[in-house]
Amino acid sequence: MSLEDASLDIVPGELLAVVGENGAGKSSLMNVLYGLYQPDAGTFLMDDKPVRLKSPRDAIARGIGMVHQHFMLVPTLTVAENVVLGREPTRRGLLDLDRACDEVAATAKRFGFHLDPRARVDTLTVGSQQKVEIVKALHRGAQVLILDEPTAVLTPQESDELAQVMRGLVAQGRTVVLISHKLKEVLGVADRVAVMRRGRTVAEVRAAGTTVSALASLMVGEGSRGAALTGVPAASGAVVPDAQGEATSGPIVLDAKDLRAKGDNGRPALQGVSLTVRAGEIVGIAGVDGNGQRELAEVLTGLRSLDSGEGTLLGGPLKGLTPALAKARGVGHVPEDRLARAVVKAMTVEENVALGRHRQPPFARGPWVDFKGRRERATRLLSTYDVRPPDPTVALQALSGGNQQKVVVARELDADPKLLVVVQPTRGLDIGAVAQVHARLREAKARGAGVVMVSLDLEEVLALSDRVYVLYEGRVTGHFPRKDLDERELGRRMLGAESDHG
Amino acid sequence: MGERTRQILPSVLSVLLALAVCWLTIALTRDADTATRAYLQMLWGGVGNWPAFLDGGNANAVLRPLGEAAMKAAILTLTGLSVAVAFKVGLFNIGAQGQMIWGALAAALVGAHVSLPGVVHVPLALLAAALAGATWSSIAAVLKLKRGVHEVISTIMLNWVAVSLVDNWLVIGPLRAVAEGQQSSITGTAEILATAQLPRLLGDSSRLNLGFPLALVAALGVWVWLTRTRAGYETRAVGLTPEAARAAGIPTQTRAGGAMALAGALAGLAGAVLVLGTEGRYPGSLGAPYGFDGIAIALIGNNHPLGAAVSAAVFGILRAGGTRMQLLGVHKSFPELIQGFALLFVAGRMVWLAVLRRRREQPTREQPSGEQPSGEQPSGEQPVAEVPRA
Repeated sequence: MSLEDASLDIVPGELLAVVGENGAGKSSLMNVLYGLYQPDAGTFLMDDKPVRLKSPRDAIARGIGMVHQHFMLVPTLTVAENVVLGREPTRRGLLDLDRACDEVAATAKRFGFHLDPRARVDTLTVGSQQKVEIVKALHRGAQVLILDEPTAVLTPQESDELAQVMRGLVAQGRTVVLISHKLKEVLGVADRVAVMRRGRTVAEVRAAGTTVSALASLMVGEGSRGAALTGVPAASGAVVPDAQGEATSGPIVLDAKDLRAKGDNGRPALQGVSLTVRAGEIVGIAGVDGNGQRELAEVLTGLRSLDSGEGTLLGGPLKGLTPALAKARGVGHVPEDRLARAVVKAMTVEENVALGRHRQPPFARGPWVDFKGRRERATRLLSTYDVRPPDPTVALQALSGGNQQKVVVARELDADPKLLVVVQPTRGLDIGAVAQVHARLREAKARGAGVVMVSLDLEEVLALSDRVYVLYEGRVTGHFPRKDLDERELGRRMLGAESDHG
Repeated sequence: MGERTRQILPSVLSVLLALAVCWLTIALTRDADTATRAYLQMLWGGVGNWPAFLDGGNANAVLRPLGEAAMKAAILTLTGLSVAVAFKVGLFNIGAQGQMIWGALAAALVGAHVSLPGVVHVPLALLAAALAGATWSSIAAVLKLKRGVHEVISTIMLNWVAVSLVDNWLVIGPLRAVAEGQQSSITGTAEILATAQLPRLLGDSSRLNLGFPLALVAALGVWVWLTRTRAGYETRAVGLTPEAARAAGIPTQTRAGGAMALAGALAGLAGAVLVLGTEGRYPGSLGAPYGFDGIAIALIGNNHPLGAAVSAAVFGILRAGGTRMQLLGVHKSFPELIQGFALLFVAGRMVWLAVLRRRREQPTREQPSGEQPSGEQPSGEQPVAEVPRA
């Protein structure tokens, strides 16, 4: 999350879109504009005068408003109470709610919002809550309104409505900065598009004169992504592209058709995903964050139930899968959120090594915990996987993140899984740990496991995968065997662009 | 400071500090000499006047107070365990009082109306009490697991339901003892049969009965279950990180429900020990809020089964001795005040330890680029580097 030499011109009265991949620096740049981050170098001019924004308070005072992806509303307060929060109108020292309601109603009316100032925020739809956020910013006198991925939480209808709202604001002379990676949407609404890549602004184009495909190319970059993308020098050996690449003909371990499931917010996350995985191959799942990858991994490990679709997973039906059932059939899981899902951080390392297999030898003997067997196995795994410190009795939370992840990988691979589902296996790890985790995944594959690897790091996907599925908005928008891997095409599919050739 | 010391020390210090504060209270309102003598009386009342006994006094001077203390400690141990067990699975059982009420009633009914030899009668009455308590706590568990009702709310309300049903209706109404020729003012259920009484262990002069060893066995059993069995391991995992437990295939609902049922059973046993050991029947009102005391006992005992037993023993002694403070004009509820202060200080300790722990962990926490986009700076020493393997 960093910026390197990013420049942006914001012209009053226009709708500027900022696009880029995950980690391209969109949000960082906006946080600088909103006074949340201080730039190490560079200048910030408003009306040709240099300005230093030390905090969001400064930004608000200068007419910059921001609508965050996650709303900053108090759900139990009314619309008016939320809007005036922090600058409540008072009468004789008491909160004057009637005046607040009147003021908020006036602001809403001026910009064409239909909002009941007396409605409680938690009774509103997500789309209306977003409008409350926008009205809040406008009520504080925002001339420039920054919207961070505003449509990520909206239904298509709400998104259309938001587009009208944004155009309306621009028509009234306000300036809107829209951050998004949904190119089609951006082209439908923006005047100008700034493209960010690796912390730099690489292009600024007029929306009218460009296409989704052209934008996608700019975002992904023309040349080889190579090592520079993640800032990891290739010579470090962190990511070694796989030399072998023949398709395996191993038995099918997973065959899923038309999977549909809802996300945590109750909206469809998987909308008809079909995929097969064979023993002895690594299948990469590529996509921009939030396009159904996480939900797919959860379905495969029994953590999320299917709405419809069918499939066979290791000889049993995918429908009705529970975590225990998945484990019994031989599914290993390295989840994305280690501390929430993979480990009990307050327990010891050896207790965590046992987690999930604690009912069977060597971790248990009958109904009793087998302390001796557990100690032996944990000690052996810690030394094999080079976990430091190699002490099975310390609390897991005393280990560094990389070593915690090694414990998780060690535990899952020690169970000799037939299907291994890994999500973001190297996020936040240092080079050495990344290399080790990658080596272990290859080892699992060599031992005949089918590996499903979800990663937002395209380089990781490209380096390890025998085949790649691309997910976009809960659908498979691309399927590439290794020999056909074309990273530019892959990148375009990730952004929802239609296929250029077929 | 070792991990075990870190767990035990704050509780010990909290109790000592509470003792000191209450001593100071008496010293300031009366005088230091009275305060000290009141404390001595409390001690003699709890553990017996050993100097007098060794000086050739009556053995009863020691046995009687010890019996009183043990009796109170037994009940407090069981209610404390009840709260601690629920806490281990991540639930806060405020309902030990209600569960104890039903346990006491079940024990009283089985004790009075079933005719059996003692070897079977006592276990049967205990079993009935455990089942009654477990049933009551399971209502809260089912509400929690099926409907998402917070257990703090439901157990508090179920306490009042239990009080209303049992104290305010059953034992003064349908289940009231009908004994002709007796004073009509007596409320409560019929006297239990002699076969159902918990045997006294030190003769008639001391009320020390089988309840005390029973409570100790229960504490030991809970501890073994939590630390040595698969089920206990799963229960702790569910309590500490429910999502990870679920992902590991642990039946989280079964474990939560099981722990809550066990909690209710333990509170029910507390009611049985009260009825079968000392009261002899369900009195007009159960009165003593041992169930609520269980919360304090568990917290002061650091939610550890053996810690709860020790903390129950300490407060059993102080409470048994509390009556003797009256000899010096000090109110007998002072031990409860001490308990309250100790709880307050223990709660403070949790805050304090959390602060300490955070400070300590920060340097060892990994701060890789990218994992923490919040931009916070690692303070203190650098994180332990991971050396790549060839």
